[in-house]
Amino acid sequence: MDPRVKFLMTMVIFALSIMFFDLIPLLAVFILQIPLILYAKIWREWLKTLKGGAFLAVIIFTTNLLSFYFFRGMHLSGENVEFSLSLTLRFLSLITSFSLFFLTTSPDKLSLALEKAKIPYEFNFAFITAIRFVPVLADEAQTIMDAQRSRGLELDKGGFLSRIRKYIPILLPLIVNSIRRSLELAEAMESRAFGATKNRTNLYELKMAPSDYFALVITLGALAFALYVRLFLPPLPKLMSGLLFL
Amino acid sequence: MGKIDVEGLCYSYPNVADQALTDINLKIEPGEFILLTGPSGCGKTTFCRCLNGLIPHFYNGEMKGDLKIDGISTREHPTYELAKHVGLIFQNPDNQIFSLTVEKDIAFGLENLGESREKMRGEIDWAMNQVGIVPLKERGTHELSGGQKQRLTIASILAMHPGIIVMDEPTAFLDPVGAEKIFEVLQTLNREHGITILLIEHRMDLAVKYCGRIIVFDKGRIVNDGTPREIFTSDETRLIGIGIPRMVELGRRLSQRGYNIGIPLNSDEAFTKLTPFLKKSVTTNTKQGLPELDEIVGEYTHTPIIELQDVTYSYSSGIDALLGVSLTINKGEFVAVMGENGAGKTTLVKHFNGLLRPKSGNVVVDGKDVSKNSVASMARKVGLVFQNPDDQFFAEDVEEELSFALRNFGYEETVINERVEWALNLLDLQRYKKSSPFILSGGERKRVALASILAWNPDILVLDEPTVGQDHGQKERLKHFLMQLRTQGKTVVIVTHDVEFVAESQPRVVLMSKGRVIADGTAKKIMTDARSLGACSVAPPEVTKLFSKLTLYSLPIDVLDVDEALDLLTRKLRRDNP
Repeated sequence: MDPRVKFLMTMVIFALSIMFFDLIPLLAVFILQIPLILYAKIWREWLKTLKGGAFLAVIIFTTNLLSFYFFRGMHLSGENVEFSLSLTLRFLSLITSFSLFFLTTSPDKLSLALEKAKIPYEFNFAFITAIRFVPVLADEAQTIMDAQRSRGLELDKGGFLSRIRKYIPILLPLIVNSIRRSLELAEAMESRAFGATKNRTNLYELKMAPSDYFALVITLGALAFALYVRLFLPPLPKLMSGLLFL
Repeated sequence: MGKIDVEGLCYSYPNVADQALTDINLKIEPGEFILLTGPSGCGKTTFCRCLNGLIPHFYNGEMKGDLKIDGISTREHPTYELAKHVGLIFQNPDNQIFSLTVEKDIAFGLENLGESREKMRGEIDWAMNQVGIVPLKERGTHELSGGQKQRLTIASILAMHPGIIVMDEPTAFLDPVGAEKIFEVLQTLNREHGITILLIEHRMDLAVKYCGRIIVFDKGRIVNDGTPREIFTSDETRLIGIGIPRMVELGRRLSQRGYNIGIPLNSDEAFTKLTPFLKKSVTTNTKQGLPELDEIVGEYTHTPIIELQDVTYSYSSGIDALLGVSLTINKGEFVAVMGENGAGKTTLVKHFNGLLRPKSGNVVVDGKDVSKNSVASMARKVGLVFQNPDDQFFAEDVEEELSFALRNFGYEETVINERVEWALNLLDLQRYKKSSPFILSGGERKRVALASILAWNPDILVLDEPTVGQDHGQKERLKHFLMQLRTQGKTVVIVTHDVEFVAESQPRVVLMSKGRVIADGTAKKIMTDARSLGACSVAPPEVTKLFSKLTLYSLPIDVLDVDEALDLLTRKLRRDNP
């Protein structure tokens, strides 16, 4: 799928989640993403992300509840609970939409989309290089840590300050090596004709397939429908308005 | 395409007083295969940087004289124009792969040149085919092995169709068979496409098989230039101490003893030149009539100091690095761990001081179970010297670097000073005491790293790839130093790909392949066991290759170094040619 369309979809989901404060539309947005997740076969990674976000979600929910409870004179209405729940759901919706984008878009494709958006190639290149060197740097940090531990460095001993000081023998070689590496990278880039022409080409190409147009229409349709509901229809009913919790 | 003309080239780096290159005059014709050599810091890498205009465009500094590639002056044309004529490949493949997939990385240069998509597709397929990585086309670059990465860097340069390819120690990190494959790729490019190849390499025995001309640098000047035979018979070479291939050395010394077999460059040549002098014989006892040599028995005691029992280890990425290793190393032993890239050698030695703890099985060092003791307490016994010294330097000066571990171990200040002085003297570093470790040369940095471990005088010393990137002189010094440590009763373990280094220092050899120990014994036994070596991408030493061909002449096969070969051959020649 074309990364530009995917990006637009993510942005629309983002907008929809921000637009509404009510449980019904937010629930709809959240549930509508689930078939997409299943279609992209990323539900396992998605669940992992949700697990990571669960802690924050709980915090959002409880702080909202507590603040209602204390500022509204020690009682909690159903509307308050519903509102807290909506905010939490909005958060989960946002996580899901971004997972959908980043888990299914290769950095190469993303860079291509950036290129099409007329972002200067230097930024683009920096972005790809950063991704490319994450595993390399991680390996190097591990090696440095091993080397210093072999020289008797004990990272998990001592007070807070002395522990921080103990990271100097690890950070310094990492920084020096990175500077050295960047010099070598620059040499290698020059040797591969970096900056030879302003009209740089790209091996990959973005082409809108019929399915992309279809997705585009659906996405824009959803946005239009949501705007209509939000602006021209009376406020949506609250689900838990009659209930009184505390 | 592929012509180089250098006239009166001088260069100094900015803010450095000494000239890096002085009065270089050189003509290189298209289609030559040239080896650039010389001791560390002799200017050969600087010269390579001149070839595609990195000097003077990227490095500034002061350049005099002229350098023309295919008639184009490097001074007047930017590097990106020269990139179409000269492809530079550096030592560390990781620092020249920019993309996330193989095909995209090969495309990088072509994209920069603004080539069309159709043309790129064609060039990528062609380049991958040349270096034999077609099946890797859509692979992620981070999943490749060391050898595959190095081949990818060649393909990426090749796709731009340069007439000249320059490589700076391309095989430093590769196992012997992997290294040979890289050289073979270069040879094919040279022979079939007439590409001029310039190669920097310290592994002389391997490189000499492929090159037609050797240029020797020393102190920024060209001190010798000619065919391998000319170079290795001239005294100048001997004086500046570049490594002499073992077969050349053998030929030279046999000639001195009156058997002129010329200057063979490899074991095949030596064999053809020797056979006219030798009589075939069918005696089964191959050592008959020849002096019995004492079996090389180590002087070590039989007190185990490192004991591994059924050790398995897997990384969190799911890679099973060790699959049941049992191994006993005795006090005072000298052991070399060898095997293909990724065989588990480094993983193994990281168990010795507890950096890694076995998933199952036991590691006991000097009576202590490493899983039950901290790394810091094990490290006092086991000094682990890492491959790259830059992975540990952080202090302001060498003295501080050397005292780091001593402070961690909680020694008294007076003891620390004493130990640091001792280590400085031991490795001849006294004059660098107050220098920053970062400004030292590669060889000096390796010595500082070693000294920083020896400072606390551990009983067991483990060195990971100590010879990588070291020139001939540095390797010789290391060899003598390791011998010295052994006489002090230290247990020394090295992890290495350097076959010739092992052949000459003759440790016990532990061969590893795919997470298992597949052979273990004296260097004589293991390094002449072609089958086991082949199973883990290690090639036998040159001398052994020669003797494995000479079995029909009633000579033993288990011969590793030049001295012993010389001895046996002289006796045999004397008997066959009375």
